[in-house]
Amino acid sequence: MKNHRVRKSIDAGITYFILLVVSLIFSFPVLWLLLASFSKTGSIYSFDGFFPAEYSLDSFRRLFTDTVLYNYPQWFKNTLFIAVLSSLIGTILVIMTAYTISRFRFRGRKMLMKITLVLGMFPSFMAMTAVYILMTHFNLINQHWGLVLIYSAAAPVGYMVQKGFFDTIPGSIDEAARIDGASSFTIFRKIIFPLSAPIIVYTGLTLFAWPWSDFILPRLLLKDRDLYTVAVGLMSLGDDEFARFSAGAMFIAIPIIILYFCLARFLISGLSSGAVKE
Amino acid sequence: MKKRIIIPLAVIMAHFLVITGIIAGGFTRDESVSLDKDAQASDRFTGILERDITLRVLENDTALRQGYFEELLNAFNAEYEQYGIRAVDANMDQYLDLENDGPFGFGPDVLYQANDRIMRYALGRHVQPLPIEQLDCYPHIEQKAWDAYKMTVSGQDYYLAAPVNIQGPFLFYRKSLLPSPDIIESWNALYKFSQERREEGKFGYMKSLIDVYYSIGFLFSYGGYMYGDNNTNMEDIGLARNGAERGAGVLRQLASVMDERCIDFTITQISYSQFANGNFFATMTTPDVYTLFVDELMAVGFTREEAVAEIGIADVPKLPKSGDLSEENPELMPSRMMGGVNGYAISSYTKYPNAALAFVNFATSYDMVMLRNEILGIIPARKDAAENLGELAQTINNHLVEGNIVVMPSLMGQVWTPAETFFTDLANDPFRRDGDRKFTTLESKRLALERLSGQIYDAIHTLK
Amino acid sequence: MSLLKNCNAYVIASMLLMGAGQILYGQWVKGLLYLALQVTGIIFFINYGAAMIAGFITLGTVEGNAWYGIDGDNSVTMLITGLFAIIILIMYFVLYVSNIKSAYESQKLAASGKKPQGIIEDIKELADKKLYKTVLLVPIIGVCIFSVLPIVFMILVAFTNFGGDTVPPALVDWTGFESFKRVLTLGTFAPTFIKIFGWNILWAVLATAFGYLGGLGLALLFNKKCVKGKVFWRAFPILAYAVPGFISLIGFRFMFAAGGPINQMIVNNGGDVILFLGLNSTWLSRGIGLLVNTWLTVPTSMLLATGILANMNKDTFEAAEIDGAGPVRQFVSLTLPFVLFATTPVLITNFMLNFNNFGIFFFLRGGFISEGYFLASDTDLLINWLFRLSIDNNYYSIGAVISLIIFLITSIVSLDVYLRSDAYKKEDIYR
Repeated sequence: MKNHRVRKSIDAGITYFILLVVSLIFSFPVLWLLLASFSKTGSIYSFDGFFPAEYSLDSFRRLFTDTVLYNYPQWFKNTLFIAVLSSLIGTILVIMTAYTISRFRFRGRKMLMKITLVLGMFPSFMAMTAVYILMTHFNLINQHWGLVLIYSAAAPVGYMVQKGFFDTIPGSIDEAARIDGASSFTIFRKIIFPLSAPIIVYTGLTLFAWPWSDFILPRLLLKDRDLYTVAVGLMSLGDDEFARFSAGAMFIAIPIIILYFCLARFLISGLSSGAVKE
Repeated sequence: MKKRIIIPLAVIMAHFLVITGIIAGGFTRDESVSLDKDAQASDRFTGILERDITLRVLENDTALRQGYFEELLNAFNAEYEQYGIRAVDANMDQYLDLENDGPFGFGPDVLYQANDRIMRYALGRHVQPLPIEQLDCYPHIEQKAWDAYKMTVSGQDYYLAAPVNIQGPFLFYRKSLLPSPDIIESWNALYKFSQERREEGKFGYMKSLIDVYYSIGFLFSYGGYMYGDNNTNMEDIGLARNGAERGAGVLRQLASVMDERCIDFTITQISYSQFANGNFFATMTTPDVYTLFVDELMAVGFTREEAVAEIGIADVPKLPKSGDLSEENPELMPSRMMGGVNGYAISSYTKYPNAALAFVNFATSYDMVMLRNEILGIIPARKDAAENLGELAQTINNHLVEGNIVVMPSLMGQVWTPAETFFTDLANDPFRRDGDRKFTTLESKRLALERLSGQIYDAIHTLK
Repeated sequence: MSLLKNCNAYVIASMLLMGAGQILYGQWVKGLLYLALQVTGIIFFINYGAAMIAGFITLGTVEGNAWYGIDGDNSVTMLITGLFAIIILIMYFVLYVSNIKSAYESQKLAASGKKPQGIIEDIKELADKKLYKTVLLVPIIGVCIFSVLPIVFMILVAFTNFGGDTVPPALVDWTGFESFKRVLTLGTFAPTFIKIFGWNILWAVLATAFGYLGGLGLALLFNKKCVKGKVFWRAFPILAYAVPGFISLIGFRFMFAAGGPINQMIVNNGGDVILFLGLNSTWLSRGIGLLVNTWLTVPTSMLLATGILANMNKDTFEAAEIDGAGPVRQFVSLTLPFVLFATTPVLITNFMLNFNNFGIFFFLRGGFISEGYFLASDTDLLINWLFRLSIDNNYYSIGAVISLIIFLITSIVSLDVYLRSDAYKKEDIYR
């Protein structure tokens, strides 16, 4: 028994050591960029070694006050609007698509699965011209709704991840409910939906994060400087604006991290948490 | 039984026929649009100002940041308020995509751009030829500057923009570190001085040599050229012609007084702070980054006035005809650098060509150009302005006239990557081990330049 | 066929005028809905659709000249709007067929003495047995317009002379297989293609494996019983994920630059500068690219694996533990198959994303032309090369041909892998 306990604590020790190393690997480059935004000259290029010589909040102050040319607060709001909406709509579409394809058997289903698998493989930048011209015809240039539309419309192509998840939920659960007279929609709402919290969190988080780092599509569709998203705005900064660039980049991380902490507890609340027993 | 099938089939066929008929209707349309033989591209400039309109003007970021654009707009709007014309910031990215934005109505009315961009737009007729004789600045600007915007279509010359300033590189140096003025006169002297500074553990001239925009000038200086027949014949790539390899030799020698950081973009990025702390004595760049040097000097304790007094801006030093920087008392010749002419053009998709022309006329006036110089430090293309601004401005204007500023061709897309690769390889050479060096002889440099020209030729022509 | 033989006058009425049969059977709402859609469709085609389809075939006849205010035809726009109209036309025919079928259903119901299905039953059915129809309608339309249409557009561009000097306002023409011929007969093309393709495959395999196994490993690590504060530990990879990839890449690029902090440390310790991402550092650059890519992709796959593991039945583990199975055995025979089952499609998708990973070397290393390559560098993936050929150099139709070739190869390979996988063949295994 004692031997077992020793083995356990050695195991825990090693585990925590690995945890520390992993955390360092993931946080160090981010921390480094963060320090750049707090450095006095505001540039990693004037660092001596890995760290800046002097610190100041100047970059952040300028980021939020000097908005004549680079209206970061506005860009931030724009991105938040696009990210929230496309994450909401996109998640609903993806989850519903994945659920139906996992649970229903209908004609053309396998064909649909094969086509969607292949769709994602086409080099997407080649298709940008087409998207641009379509959007001019829908009158959705310079409109945030245009981006929301494209992001949410493109989301269901990636339904396979979620379908794989639903495939692991035993069918006996829905059959029992069906015998009780529940309709497909009710089964989804009352039984499957609560069980799929982890995958919904995953979907929502990835869809939310995407507009923050995409600069190809918004650059194509948003012409007005004040309508930019943060990624486009940051890319439009001059070479000499590294301070703002890194400060702005660091700030992007905040909503994503907040969202993660809000959703973290759902990430592990699947079948195994014992919500439903077979 | 058969009859039972015929009726529904007939009905379906009838339905299809109707749909086909409707679609076939799409092919019949009026195609009588034709060009009036006597029509002139300048016909749109009737001279009658459009009234009660808003002009969208695109300026570059520096002009916005330093406040010049606001002054320009205010001055223009004050004068043209009586006609109901208001000019506003187009609020778009300074690197405009007029080919895609213009036709769909998203572009600006007036745009300030470099000549290579404007002339690229001109290929698709996205910018309107200007009646330049009507502009007040016309007699004050050298023909060479206008030529940067010239396009010849079926024997007729068109001018697509009005020049505002001449872009070209300058030597930026620390005045207090300059032991004697002749150091910045020739590359030979600067080279020697850099060697001396290296012995003290500091650096003299520093520049990322892989930066094609600056390095390609050394090839031009010794007779190389981009395309034949004044950059019009893209069949003829001239980077290896007329002994251009001597320019490559100069670059290689310059690399040897720097360190490995000249092989990527590190120096470009760190040059401002290293300049400020005295590690670097000099670098070459365009005047639009002037404020960065000031900011960095102020970060290390200079006052604004001291910083301004400390920054020396000079013409690019002269080169030795031999192409050897270590030569004592060399025969010198002027450097020939890549540059350009920036100016105002009018979008072909504007609804208000006359008001736009009025704006261009206003923005190229003597007063506005002088103000632009004062705020942004640009070198005006107007001779009357340059004459009032001292020697450097006139030297640059002369460089343009004499061809020592080579106006950047509009089709450079296929040049950057191969050229950057060549300059990377070249800059790397002094840092290779003895046996591994590739560019020790003139012949090896020439062959490498031939290969570079071949790559550019391939990029342009193989897939055409 | 039996429909054509047996249909009655009401169904034939539907063939002529959509919804007519339904109205005659008393299904007013359904009938009027069909009718309204037909009328809208026909009005669309008379006003716009017909001209769009005509434009698709001619690709324009009047060249624009903005100098004289002549709008002219924009071939590219015509190609796209034409495609759009064709999609609408296909939808119209799908609707038309469904209209006839539904009228025939009503006929059969009426013949057996039942009342044709009313709108309320229809809605009930769409919320239950045929829920998939309701749910999939919106995504399918969205995907058709924003994914399928642009892809078909690019495929069609391969059959035109779009590119070079032939860009709007110049008129583009259909040229058949001309661009294919040019690509396939170009001697310098094949050696570079083969070299890049080989590296591209190797890259995609390694990058996917590293990212996937790294994510799974982390998820398992964080899931261990002895780890306290799981939410906190998991936040570190999320931190890396929260910073946009292109920004991290720019940071990494500087970190490995000749004057970057790593080289500064090397020099301060008396070493020589290492050109990590230099012109001749083929394998060093590739290795760095792989590590950086792993850093970027592990957080998402960790999130996913955590979510999937949450659904795993703990009882099985307890049973296994009682049976004396060690952690390695448990992982190989229980965890891995389970996770693999749920994520095979993800693996394939990730493989494709890595295969077409444009950003990594574009931001990390920039552009070079390596010796022995035709306008490409030794770290270029096919997509980077494609970008240089098509966008940098303006050769859209050539680019389209190459992307079509890449697309064919990758889609055949991945379809084959997918169709062999358990995730496809044994979808119901865990149900």
